[in-house]
This record gives sequence, structure tokens and C-alpha cells, in this order.
Amino acid sequence: MPFLVCHSRFSLCHSRRESAFALALAVASLIPATAAHAQARMVDTTPPAGITAITNGKLLTVTHGTIEDGTLLLQSGKILAVGTAASIKVPTGATIVDAHGLTVYPGLIASESTLGLSEIASDDVNNDLVETSEEIFPNMHVYDAFHAETEHIPIARFNGITNAIVAPIDTDTMPGQSMFIQLAGRDRDAMILTKDVALPMNFGADPKRKDKFPSTRMGEITQLRQALIDATEYMQKKDAAAKKSEAKDSKDKKSDPPKFDLKNEALIPYLKGEKPVIVTADEGHDIEVAMGLAQEFHLKIVLAHVTHSQDILDKIAAWHVPVMFGPIYEFPRANERFDAVYTLPAELTKRGVKVTLLPGDSGGAGSAQSLRNLPYVAGMAVAYGMPYDDALKSITLNPAEIWGVADKLGSLDVGKTANIVIANGDPLDVRTSVKQVFIDGVSIPMETRQTRLRDEYAPKTGTAK
Amino acid sequence: MIPARVALCLLSATIPVAAQSVPDLVIKNATVMTASHGTIANGSVWVHNGKIAGIGATVSAPASATVIDATGKYLTPGIIDPHSHSALGNDVNEATSPVTPSMMMIDAFDSTDKALYQALAAGVTTELLLHGSANMIGGQAVVIKNKFGLNREDLLFPNAPRSIKFASGENPKRVYGGRNQLPSTRMGNFEVMRQSFEDAKVYKKEWDDYNTKLAKGDKDLVTPHRDLKLEALADILSGKLYVQIHCYRADEFLTEEAIAKEYGFKIRAFHHALEMYKVGDKIAKDDTAIATFADWWGYKDEAWDAIPWNAVMSMREGVRVALKSDSNDHIRRLNQEAGKMVHYGGATEDEAIAMVTLNPAWVIGVQDHTGSIDLGKDADLVIWNMDPLSTYARAEKVYIDGDLFFDTSLKGFGTPHFNGVMHEAESGGSHDGSDEGGN
Repeated sequence: MPFLVCHSRFSLCHSRRESAFALALAVASLIPATAAHAQARMVDTTPPAGITAITNGKLLTVTHGTIEDGTLLLQSGKILAVGTAASIKVPTGATIVDAHGLTVYPGLIASESTLGLSEIASDDVNNDLVETSEEIFPNMHVYDAFHAETEHIPIARFNGITNAIVAPIDTDTMPGQSMFIQLAGRDRDAMILTKDVALPMNFGADPKRKDKFPSTRMGEITQLRQALIDATEYMQKKDAAAKKSEAKDSKDKKSDPPKFDLKNEALIPYLKGEKPVIVTADEGHDIEVAMGLAQEFHLKIVLAHVTHSQDILDKIAAWHVPVMFGPIYEFPRANERFDAVYTLPAELTKRGVKVTLLPGDSGGAGSAQSLRNLPYVAGMAVAYGMPYDDALKSITLNPAEIWGVADKLGSLDVGKTANIVIANGDPLDVRTSVKQVFIDGVSIPMETRQTRLRDEYAPKTGTAK
Repeated sequence: MIPARVALCLLSATIPVAAQSVPDLVIKNATVMTASHGTIANGSVWVHNGKIAGIGATVSAPASATVIDATGKYLTPGIIDPHSHSALGNDVNEATSPVTPSMMMIDAFDSTDKALYQALAAGVTTELLLHGSANMIGGQAVVIKNKFGLNREDLLFPNAPRSIKFASGENPKRVYGGRNQLPSTRMGNFEVMRQSFEDAKVYKKEWDDYNTKLAKGDKDLVTPHRDLKLEALADILSGKLYVQIHCYRADEFLTEEAIAKEYGFKIRAFHHALEMYKVGDKIAKDDTAIATFADWWGYKDEAWDAIPWNAVMSMREGVRVALKSDSNDHIRRLNQEAGKMVHYGGATEDEAIAMVTLNPAWVIGVQDHTGSIDLGKDADLVIWNMDPLSTYARAEKVYIDGDLFFDTSLKGFGTPHFNGVMHEAESGGSHDGSDEGGN
């Protein structure tokens, strides 16, 4: 009975009466293993009936400080009330989740990932990380490859990540559009919150090709500029044709609509500044060149990676663009101080830059294998000078703002989606364990492929849990 | 032979001489995590002549000792990485034959590699630099003390046991199978190993017979041919080399142990060992340790059953568990990897710290010299700004043999012994399963 064991150990969930919530979980733990497993992978996030009350926890609200003894009410998948335990009356019949001694915070948001694009990293047959036959692919949509049942999603969720960007990797200059997901849902459609949320544009060493164009940075920029020019002309022709058809002036032959083109069509919202382009580069000089191109076309810019940008920090601040920083574990160059990269989130924050920290390790941002360690990335930034509140914000509210969902996510505020995490301590500390995750107000089974293996082999040991 | 009287004189003479050259050091008021006998609140450690000379609430150090007040700070043994490929540049794998036991990693060792500095700044004082995992029987490791800035020979751990790297599973299969050579399967992998030991038995017998006859004074002897490869293999059979095996799957641990028993050698440690939680009770009986990741997984098929509870579950089965980096990146936060063991499996803080100090020292075979804060051991010590198992912990001062090698309060690199030019390795130093064709 994993449910009962869990609850007696951590005194997390109990019910004043036999509520539907507790009953549902208890039943889930009794149904045959295979069905339970399927449920842990694909969780129906239809909000439960009634009110869930998370009581007496330490609430990290992100927007209005820490409430030491606080209570949260959840209803219909949203936050109904948040405040001190004394100020909030728990309605009769509410399902009580006792968070005494525990810490409660909004679900974490990963701003780069390959969730659902890769399962076992070396298994190329099943990898859908990037289309590399060409480089200009604004018409590639990761939702076409997204494998919602990936084992990586429950594992990321297990450490408190509730939302993520899924993006193609950075080996093309323009590899395709990314999407914004939540890490639970009965099927793919329920998990994808925003299709085509942004367009990565990569510059520097990674997108170079061997023995074919573009093999240099000059080639990369030329290729990108040409693509943006082509799409601009396409958009103008389309606009002109639309005007002509409005005016019903059939004599103007120049205004025929252009032949429909998937790539150019895909770029239109970005040329209009309706959606952000993710300008991705590591070195200061590369960032300046890529920014120059993005500014030339008046794109809406989010800067990404910038892990070797020590020489242009003031310039980055002056651009007034958000920064997706990381991974923080990128190596300093030889003859740089060991903390040359660790200190950059603090330096950017100090300059007023809105930062979201990226998961990943020195192998690159966003790999599914390192995604669950996102909170520790933020902790590392704190160790090297980033104020704690800014670090927490960098994986909650800031990404919510960057991805246009701050009205729904990123803080414990009334009316926001009930994506809530309960942990036994500071969320950014490696020693802390997440005890319960709610998505859309639904208590998510804290079960993964890895917990199943653990439990399968646990009887021999008995002690490790 | 030195007469006993003289030896005593020399012994007593060492104290004033050492005091003149390197003053004694006392680190006081620290939370001392000893790794061998618990944690001492408000403890002091006295370092004399590069060794730990006193531990406790107070120590009886001479008044001339340098005193560091570590109030509010933590003191641990130096972090030890039992699986690193740092400072070996692009020379990690001699992937031209599946059996290359005479490759000596010391021949590729570059003591100015920036990776050593970055590890030092994270409190890493000792590393086992291993051959890669392309070969069933790879090369012989080099053990270093991370005295970054000193001469190359000064970084070599004095009198450390010799270790040899074995591999198994996917990497040898992929490397040689990809060239349509033996081995391309796990059957091939293990048969290559058995054949090597059969050859080594013949070679060893030839030399043993020769040496026996030589000892008997036999005059008409022809000295057998000396073959470096067979000599190294024979050394394995004689137990002269610690066998360190890259191995992932539960079935392969059992096969490896069976082969080891068949040929009469011991396996010191399985490295990676991501499925040890499945058969830990059996492997514990063989006194084979593991050097594993905290939570790295999923990069290939044989890492698909990895679970972050592996280390603690295996430990509870009686296996000696070390954490390791296999990465120039993760080596910079092995203390955090240890902290994760509190999260995944509920290790105590003392158990967790031992996984990156005393237990890896045992894997390397230097546990009598370093790896814990015990009387007489090398003064390899790290002062942390807070509990080292926290994400927020930073190594503030790193001592090796009582000498300060890193001090974060110093400007520049923070390295009292280094102010030269660091090298950037060509490549290498990365996780198994990533770019380098498997380390």
C-alpha cells in the first residue's frame, strides 16, 4: 500500500472525512499494477470536485513573500485562496493536505527541454531532436514529434517541475518552433499549452556544418538574413495581395499572392513581433552579431545561453531583453577563474536583467537526463551571489512572464492554475525531497519508472525508500 | 640497516625540522565531518608535518601553529574522485584493440589541465585517472593528488596501488562491432577476456617456472621473452593490480565475478554499476565496491534501469559505495552529488560524505593514507562555508598534505602554488555515453 506508507511516513495527506480525493488515491493504489502504471504516466488532470486545502505549510509565494504558517485553497484547478492559516477558513468537507513542517511553492518551469523528443539518448532511431538535412526550418513543429508518454516527464515532475518548453536542439541556425507544455494530462493535447510559442535562432560554433554551407559564422548569418529577407518579401506580397482583394482592383498584376510557402508562413508572426525569437549564442562577440541581426528585423527578442558573456554584461542589460541563462555548468575557459560562469546569473540580475535559469549540464541545456536537477541549478546561482528570491523567481515567475502565461503560472496567487509543489525543505537544496505535486489542482501520483524499479527491488533491502 | 638508536634520533629530529619549514596548522571551531567516526561539533584538527596530529574538542598543538578559526564552517576530508578522465586530453582510449593492459595513463597525464584546477576549487584532492571503456581490458590508471601548480611528478600519489580499467557491455561492442571486429556482442566481450587470461596463464607459468629454477640456482636457463601486454595480464592474475570494471547490468556483475573467481583475481570495484541495487546482496559478499553516479541515467540502453536510489539501496545491502564524476563537469560538485543521497534514499549526512571521501579512497586503495579525518592520515582537508551537502556550499580552503592549494579569498585563481598558464584539454573528460565514444 504505497499510499498509506507514504502518508504515515510524511504525514502529508489525510482527510477529515473519507473524501473523494483520498478515496480516489487509495483506490488507485489497490488497482492492478499495470493500470496504476499507465495512470502514473498519463494523468487525467480534470480538476477534482470540491475544495482541496493545503494547510499550515511554509508558502513561498514568489510574488508576495514567504508565509511561514500558510494555507492554500484549491478549487476547479485554480488557487481559490492563499494566506496565513489564521486568515483562511478551511471549508467543511474540504480535502485536507497537512503541510505542517513542509514547504509549498509554485510548480517549477523549465525554459528548455527535449521532453518527448528523446527517450534513451543514444537511441538515434527514436530521437527527434532536430532536423539536420537543412538548417532553415521554421516550419518544424516539435508537437509533431512529442511523445507525451515519455518516462522523463514523471521523473521531472517528481522533483517539482510542472511546466516546460520543449525545443529542438541547437545544431541548426533555425531548427524549428518550440512549444510550452504542462507535465501532466490525459493525452498529448491536454499537455500542450502553447504550440509554436517561440522560434530559436542559433549562432556560433554549434550550427556549423562540415564541408558544406554554412561552415563559418559568416555563412550562418548570411543564411539567416536571407531567410528573414525572403519571409519579409513574402509577407509584404501577401499583405499587398490582401489589400488588392479588399479593393477589388483586379488590374494590378504585381499584387498576386505569393505561392504558399510553409517556411515563410511560419516566420510571419515572428517578423511581426507577435512571438519571441530565441537568440542563442554563448560568447560575447557571437551574442553581439546575433543581436544585430535580430534587431535589423525588429524581432521580439529573448536572449539565450550567454554563458561566456562576461565582457558584454552592461550591453545585455541595456538591450532590455529577457535572458535564458545557462547551463550554469558550462566550463570556464582555461585561465578564467573557476567561478567565471557560476557568477553570471548574479551579475545579470544585479544589472536588472530578467533571468530564467536553464536546466542542463556542461553537455548542453535541456537534456532530458538532467532536467530534474533544475532546482539545483538555481541553488548553484544562489551559492555564487544570486539573491534567493531572484533565483526562485528565475524558475517560476520569470519564465511564466517570458512565455506569456504569468496570468496562470509562476506564483501562489488567487486565480492562477493550481500547479503546486510540496517538499520537505528548501526547494533549491539537493537534500530536499518533493512529497507531492499538484497540476491543475490534481494530486499527481508520485510514481515514476524509477520508483517502480526501486519498489520492485526494495523488499530485499527493506530500508531504502 | 639503521641501528635502532639512530632511527629513534632521526624520528625525534623530524619534529623541530618540520616545524621550521612548515608551521603546524590548527583549524578550530569547525563542524568536523570525519567520514570515519561521525561529526564533531565545534571540533579542532591539528596538522603536523602534513599529517593529522590531533582531532577533538581541543588539540594540544604548539603555540607556534597557524590557527584558522572556522566558526560556522565545516571541515571535511578532501573529496576523492575514483573515476576521472581529467588531464588526459584526447588520450583516454587506446581503441585499437580490445585488450590493451600495458597502456599507462601516466603517459598522457597533463598536470596543467584546467580541469584539475576546477576540481581543486570544488575540494577534490585525489583522483583516479582511468583509461576509457572502449576496451574489455584497458590501461593502467594513475592516482594523483591534486597539487595544482606543482611539478608534474609532485602530483603523483606516492606508493598508490596500481589499478587497471576493464570495461564491458555496450562500449566495447559498439567500438569493435562497428568495425566488424571481435567483440560485437556480450558473448564476444567475455570470450575476449577469457582468452586473454588463458594466454596470461601460460605466460605466467613460463615466468614462474623460470623464477623458481633461478631461485634454486639453476644455471642453464633461457630468460623468457618479456611481453608487456602478457606481463600486465599476468600481474592481474597475481593480484598485483586492482581491477576497476566499467559495468552496468546486473547479469554482467555476476559474469564478471564468476570470471574473476575462475582466474583467481579480485574485483576491486564496479564502476557506473547502475543496476547494483538488483544484486547488491550478492556482490557485497565478494567485497567488491561500486563507484556510481548519484542520478545520471538514460543515456543508453544499459543505463535505462538506473535509479537515483541505487547508491543508498546498494549500501544498505552491504556494498561499499563511492560516488564518482566520470566528468570534468560533475567533478566540480561531487559534494552536491553526495547531498542527493540524503534526498534519494535517506542516507545520513555521515554516510553521504563517506561516499565522496573514505569509500572512494578504498576503491583506489589509499584508504590508509587519505579519505577521512583520522590520526596519522594525510592532511587532505577542505573548509566549506557551510554544510558541504548543501547546494549552496562552496569550498573555501583546500589543503593537501597540510599545504594550502586553494583559497577562495585570494584574488585571481585562488591558487597559492599556481600562477602560470592552464591548458585546455583537446577533448575528453566527459560522461560515459557522451561524445568521447565512451569513457
